[in-house]
Amino acid sequence: MMVWAVIFGMGLLVFLNRYVFLEPRLPVRLSSNARQFLGFAVPGMLTAICGPIVFLPDHQLNLQYDNPYLLSSLVAIGLVLYTRNTLLSMLLSMAFFFLLRWWLA
Amino acid sequence: MSDHLLPRAAFLRGAVAIMPLSLATAPWGLLAGSMAIEANLTPLQGQGLSSIVFAGAAQLVAIGMLKGGAGIFSILLTTALLTSQHLLYGMSLRSVISPLPGRWRIGLGFLLTDELFALTSQHDKQQFNRWYALGVGLTFYIAWNLFTLAGIVLGRSIPGLEHLGLDFSIAATFIALITPVVRNVPTVVCVAVSLFCSVLFSYWQLGSALVLSGLAGMTAGFLCNKLYRGRE
Repeated sequence: MMVWAVIFGMGLLVFLNRYVFLEPRLPVRLSSNARQFLGFAVPGMLTAICGPIVFLPDHQLNLQYDNPYLLSSLVAIGLVLYTRNTLLSMLLSMAFFFLLRWWLA
Repeated sequence: MSDHLLPRAAFLRGAVAIMPLSLATAPWGLLAGSMAIEANLTPLQGQGLSSIVFAGAAQLVAIGMLKGGAGIFSILLTTALLTSQHLLYGMSLRSVISPLPGRWRIGLGFLLTDELFALTSQHDKQQFNRWYALGVGLTFYIAWNLFTLAGIVLGRSIPGLEHLGLDFSIAATFIALITPVVRNVPTVVCVAVSLFCSVLFSYWQLGSALVLSGLAGMTAGFLCNKLYRGRE
């Protein structure tokens, strides 16, 4: 019973987090400053998701050249700048990553 | 991408766009399913977590805490901290989603994940297409639940799944989305601060590392922008 209470409680909490600012009756008008701030949401939040994946594989800080995550991320950035093609860069850098891992193993 | 695209075409385009990220979350979905069984949850409860909560990191942590005998209050508090970035996503998408009819708001709100935000946030009012967003969100939801189901069925027979390196596809996708946006000094500062804080806070294992480092990066970018404009 406790498990179901946890599941529904979590479900409600996460939904409220997601929904509250989508409700038009919520009396919030975002100021020009707030809009500028939120303009940094994509680089800020997505970078924060990538950081631990790239630098802390298996929860260990790894700044060595033999960290395939780090090297492949640099390759991904280079590919995006060079090709200007999001999907292609993604696929090529993933191919690079798995080849590198296979080669390092 | 704009609103005059046929609903079905826009939906399909969204479903295709989210495919790589859906596959990238396969190991976490499988893990969420198999860990639930391992923690003595029933199969229905394991699936319930994915279909009702639909938040990967929070699910995995909650399962671990249930297994360790944590109380409901501490699990809910941790969930709130781990998923607080969604408040920012909601705020950021408010201008395009809040004018929609109630069922669209609730539907897209329920489906609002890191991944949905990543694929729709660059659209302004003209470009935003609700069907595209629904295609992205619903496909991701179905994929997540199918992977969870597979994890429940396979149970404990998939060891070392999280060491396969499939999580790099998440990083690769987000890097491909971030890099073109980095065009001026304030954005570079934002990315640098966010990156540094995310590594540091995760190293310290803070529960709300993600949202704290994101906020730090956004604040740094915002302040830098103010200084820049002030000088012109």
